Amino acid sequence: MAVETDVLAELQRLRNRIPQLTGSLAATVDGLVLAQDAPGTEPEGLAALTAAVLGVAYRMTDATERGDFRELLVRGADGYVATYAAGPTAVLTLLAEGRVNVGRLHLEGRRSGVRIADLVAAARTGPETGRQGDRARKPDRLLTASADTSRPIGTLPVRTPQPPPRRPRPQAGGNR
Amino acid sequence: MANLETSLKECLSSIDGATAAALVDYTSGMALGTLGGSKNFNLEVAAAGNTDVVRSKLRTMEHLGLKEEIEDILITLNTQYHLIRLLKGRSGNGLFLYLVLESSRANLAMARHQLRRIEAELDV
Repeated sequence: MAVETDVLAELQRLRNRIPQLTGSLAATVDGLVLAQDAPGTEPEGLAALTAAVLGVAYRMTDATERGDFRELLVRGADGYVATYAAGPTAVLTLLAEGRVNVGRLHLEGRRSGVRIADLVAAARTGPETGRQGDRARKPDRLLTASADTSRPIGTLPVRTPQPPPRRPRPQAGGNR
Repeated sequence: MANLETSLKECLSSIDGATAAALVDYTSGMALGTLGGSKNFNLEVAAAGNTDVVRSKLRTMEHLGLKEEIEDILITLNTQYHLIRLLKGRSGNGLFLYLVLESSRANLAMARHQLRRIEAELDV
């Protein structure tokens, strides 16, 4: 749980540094929330949307040979949504008002992305260097979530549906 | 009429002591063009930070009920002058020129005069 706390502290620091920030969310590239500071939004939905838009962004940078994905800025009539890469397994999504200083948003967003990447990387290598007890007591959702690095970033996990143990019996009189 | 690149170049070549220049959009805080600067002096950071300066001043004037326009802003450091000059006219709305001067080599009056001329000729 230590990673979540550290990442959340980073998000709260961001809110102090950018006054027009209305929400922030750190998620894994496959759409699981790491930490969020986004009151009035649905963090799970936002993380899932981020993963979806990230998939397109990865393919876009790839198809146009622009190198690795760095950031994504979406502007609506009333504000901005910015997504920054935070290492290979995490992303940072920021919500801001329309009158935000985008230059500052980029500076702080990029900086925070790097910091969150470090925190996540430290958590992945953490168990070897200590905190064994902490991990044994409670398995970290992040570690299990981001452990699957076999499939390329930006593709969705393929789920094979399990056949039910026995055929469900049709309900009596269900269709009448 | 001069374009952006020419104007920034002219800032550094014709103004004594100038070390960096940028044209910044203070509605977004992003730089339209930068020239000069170094690894230790990131003009993107300067653009974002000085956007807050300009916005702050405009807001203060609004609160004071002043119906005036900012012509320029001078910030004096130990060894540097930072000059911010807001662009006038339709095409320059929401933009400012940012100039960094080394105070030992610069002539402030001359620098302001030159910057005014460059700003008047700039066509974004």
